[in-house]
Amino acid sequence: MSKQVKFTIDNKEIHAAEGANLLQVAKDNDIAIPHLCYHKKLSPTGACRLCIVKVEGQRGMVASCAIQAKEGMQVTAFDDELEEARKYLLDYLLSEHNEDHDGTYDDEFRELIFRYGLDKKEQRRFPSIWKELNYPMDETSPVLSYDAAKCIKCFRCIKACDEVQGKNVLSFTNRGITSYIIGGFDKWDESECDGCGECIQLCPTGAIVEKPHRDELRLDQKTSKVQTTCPYCGVGCQLELMVRDGKVVRSNGVEGVSPNDGRLCIKGRFGYDYVNHPDRLTTPLIKKDGKFVEASWEEALDLVARKFSEIKKHHGRKSLAGYASAKTTNEDNYLFMKLVRMVFGNNNVDYCTRLCHASTVTAMLRSLGDGAGSNSIEDYETSDCMLVTGNNMIETHPVTATFVKHAAQRNGAKIIIIDPKWTPLVKDAHIWLQPKLGTDVALLNGMLRVIVNEDLIDRDFIKNRVEGGMKSYDELKTLVEKYTPDYVEEVTGVPAHLMQEAARIYAQARQPLIATGMGYSQQVTGTHNVFCLINMMLITGQIGRDGAGLNPPRGQNNVQGVSDVGASPFTYPGYISVEDDENRRKVAKIWGVHEDELDGEKGLSTVEIMQAAYEKEIKGMYIMGENPMLTDPNLNHTEEAIRKLDFLVVQDIFHTETTPFADVILPATAFAESEGTYVNSDRRVLRVRKAVDPPGQARQDWEIVAEIARRMGKPIGNYKNESDIWDEIAQTAPIFAGISFNRLEHHGIQWPCPDKDHPGTATLFKERFNTPNGLGKLHPVDYAEQSEKASEEYPLILNTGRILYQYHSSTMSRRNKALNDFANESYVLINPADASKQGISDKQKVKVISPRGKIENITIKISEEVLPGELFMPFHYAEAPVNKLTRDELDPYSKIAPFKLSAVRIEK
Amino acid sequence: MSTHDIIKQFEPQQHNLLHILHALQDANPANYLTEEALEQTARHLGVTKSSVYGVARYYTMFSLKPRGKFIIRVCASAVCELLKVNEVIEALEEELQIKIGETTKDGTFTVEQSECLGQCQEAPSMMINDKVHNNLDRGRIRKILQEYRS
Repeated sequence: MSKQVKFTIDNKEIHAAEGANLLQVAKDNDIAIPHLCYHKKLSPTGACRLCIVKVEGQRGMVASCAIQAKEGMQVTAFDDELEEARKYLLDYLLSEHNEDHDGTYDDEFRELIFRYGLDKKEQRRFPSIWKELNYPMDETSPVLSYDAAKCIKCFRCIKACDEVQGKNVLSFTNRGITSYIIGGFDKWDESECDGCGECIQLCPTGAIVEKPHRDELRLDQKTSKVQTTCPYCGVGCQLELMVRDGKVVRSNGVEGVSPNDGRLCIKGRFGYDYVNHPDRLTTPLIKKDGKFVEASWEEALDLVARKFSEIKKHHGRKSLAGYASAKTTNEDNYLFMKLVRMVFGNNNVDYCTRLCHASTVTAMLRSLGDGAGSNSIEDYETSDCMLVTGNNMIETHPVTATFVKHAAQRNGAKIIIIDPKWTPLVKDAHIWLQPKLGTDVALLNGMLRVIVNEDLIDRDFIKNRVEGGMKSYDELKTLVEKYTPDYVEEVTGVPAHLMQEAARIYAQARQPLIATGMGYSQQVTGTHNVFCLINMMLITGQIGRDGAGLNPPRGQNNVQGVSDVGASPFTYPGYISVEDDENRRKVAKIWGVHEDELDGEKGLSTVEIMQAAYEKEIKGMYIMGENPMLTDPNLNHTEEAIRKLDFLVVQDIFHTETTPFADVILPATAFAESEGTYVNSDRRVLRVRKAVDPPGQARQDWEIVAEIARRMGKPIGNYKNESDIWDEIAQTAPIFAGISFNRLEHHGIQWPCPDKDHPGTATLFKERFNTPNGLGKLHPVDYAEQSEKASEEYPLILNTGRILYQYHSSTMSRRNKALNDFANESYVLINPADASKQGISDKQKVKVISPRGKIENITIKISEEVLPGELFMPFHYAEAPVNKLTRDELDPYSKIAPFKLSAVRIEK
Repeated sequence: MSTHDIIKQFEPQQHNLLHILHALQDANPANYLTEEALEQTARHLGVTKSSVYGVARYYTMFSLKPRGKFIIRVCASAVCELLKVNEVIEALEEELQIKIGETTKDGTFTVEQSECLGQCQEAPSMMINDKVHNNLDRGRIRKILQEYRS
């Protein structure tokens, strides 16, 4: 901790850290020095001059935002002269300012105008001249408008974009009194602005305001505010929802709270429209004669319970299965998992994690004993090296990416990117390695060989913390010997010297973090890819301390939590194996059932469940908040499987590509209508709070699940509320034992948190790994050629992935005007060389065909973002269902499907 | 040379921004920076559009609109003012049939005002492109313009 100093402001004794910002210290001590350009998230600007103070021994008045706290300072914050000067400055600013105020934004300037009595015209010295200055207005952006006549040129917006979001999109133009803020070439919509709205949130005057819901926004007593967790990716940003007339009308980031400290991306800020969308499911629907008809909850739930019971009776307990949901709360998923295990009587419960990070988690569990990220999101900011593998984080985890950009832009940290496709983070990267699709194991083994040959290993770490010590290291050493730089360059296409430099930087870094994404996990060799990363991390000792380790950012709001609470065919809550008899006895006791009633045999995973449905082994399915008819691989096969089911229940907030196949559709609540918790990518348990009532008869998922269990004759518990359910989760999962709702009131807690006095765990594996013997395990693996190869018939390799503006199967995101305004059409990226070879031009419509299926009317985007021979398509768009092309050949360890590599051809 | 070739002569470092903009404007017969030129500059330097645009609009030497072949910059300092620079401006406007800030129809001349040119000992002054002309009066102006016209 830095040295504390003592000094006075207006004779009041103040204690602060030496060097702290004087204005901030004053604010923290309730000394309300006026200011406009200062914001605690930004570097001081000193533009408004309102925070002037006098410091004994210094001449004149000085801006307190530019002064550091020193021992013995005597500061005067208020006297007549200072107040007069402030009033003069405000008056001067006011003369250039349009004073209209529509009550839709917080106006710090206006507050000061009133505080200094300048609302009374007779108090003013300067005439109003703003009208003569012909200030422009920029209304081109889909999400915001900028009015230069309300701008005081404090530069908070420029710095918000630059220092907070790391985007540098804004600047200013002209000089002096006529200067104003610009995006792009003075047209916001043609700039690089991605609509995150950080500038709106930090603007002190309403010069930059959001467009959505302007007519409904009012900051009066009829508005309430609710803090909750964002429903999109797994960063877990804390939002403050503004509610008016039962409708969410604004979303702001919550300042001063982890993980986002007020930052949001466009989805978090403008992606809430779907909650109030007219397409919402509002009543249970039963399919009768091929058509859905509205039904009462009684009728629907009775039917579901009866059908599931009949299937179980006639086809045995293994004939039912469920997909849990990474979108819904821990409480919803815990009860869903409990229903499958206790009422269905098997372990056939899984969810989309099998389609995203299952391989990462599998490799981490086998090598390290825990499948979750080892560090905190904010650690990226202090890291000196980040190895970003198959992870387009600026688009998929935009707020995590802000920490990464800070590290590179401010602290000179070196970012190494391994990705076959260009991503926006390349702009901040030190090295970008661009291997051909599916050659990652060869590349990483090449890097391992460099580390081995140049003796960049950490012997102590290997001896003390790796199973088998130097002996197992020697096995790895022998295996990687053949991955010479020349060989690796030949296989991967990556220049040898870049691969070597990357290996050296990582091995020698003080505090390196690996951020690994879908590009690594969604391959047939997904588990092998991550084994290689872990091998590299273990032999260099780059894990087990603050700021060093391996972090897979989770794609959905609660992917982490759903695994944590045990919605897995392999593990109970807290990652305890379903085959662990002792744990099953413990859980059976908590659930009040005999242990024999709980199946001790592993269940089927996501894609295996579909395959079993295809084989008619699974007869009945309960899908909660998932859309396999868009997100499962090899969709034509998935459709055949789903059609073979005797009975399908889909519980969701909208009709999806999957609901037409359902026999019963049950309407559930959206995030803003739910209570409970999510767990984010850095294992932080975060509260989700209800802001608005659900539409029609929609009910929260866990209530529906509990009702079905009751009607199947096996009640799964009597819970008053979500806090009750959580307490049971904490009893069954030791990692959550110390967490309760009242501890989560103001901030999240990172698991493991073994008891109620434990503060939570920011960094995993400091003392030991979570394996039975506490040691990490090396898994030397060889590169193997992909079974799917380019051929004469299918000469191109298709990669798939996500974009910033849409989300997963788009059920939610495409029901937001702001997001669609930015990106509402699918496309296929093709290298200029391939395009000219096939005589294809930009924006042309084409067919993409794989051995499994065909999609049509796809727009070509010619781009050097992909290598020759490779293509890229986003998977969000239902009218361009890219998973008709992908395979369901699974990674043998984790059962993940290889979404990232399919041989295809393009036809005009 | 194409825009691309001009830009490529400079290392992609931010401190080259002004050099690049000057080179681009000088190479353009219409004496201004096109949006395409700004865009390519931003891409070459790896910076956002606004950071190039902000600089281009901050300096009066750069123009974002087409201008004449010859840019006349009339000094707007206090000394020139005292020595009747207004008559110089009147003469220019009369001779060229344009107002300050405008370009002649044939695209030969653009008249602008400039901060002090530092020629106070021989004021009033103006520059035409890189050349300074002092001790101006109606007669001299007519003569100077004649020289440039031919």
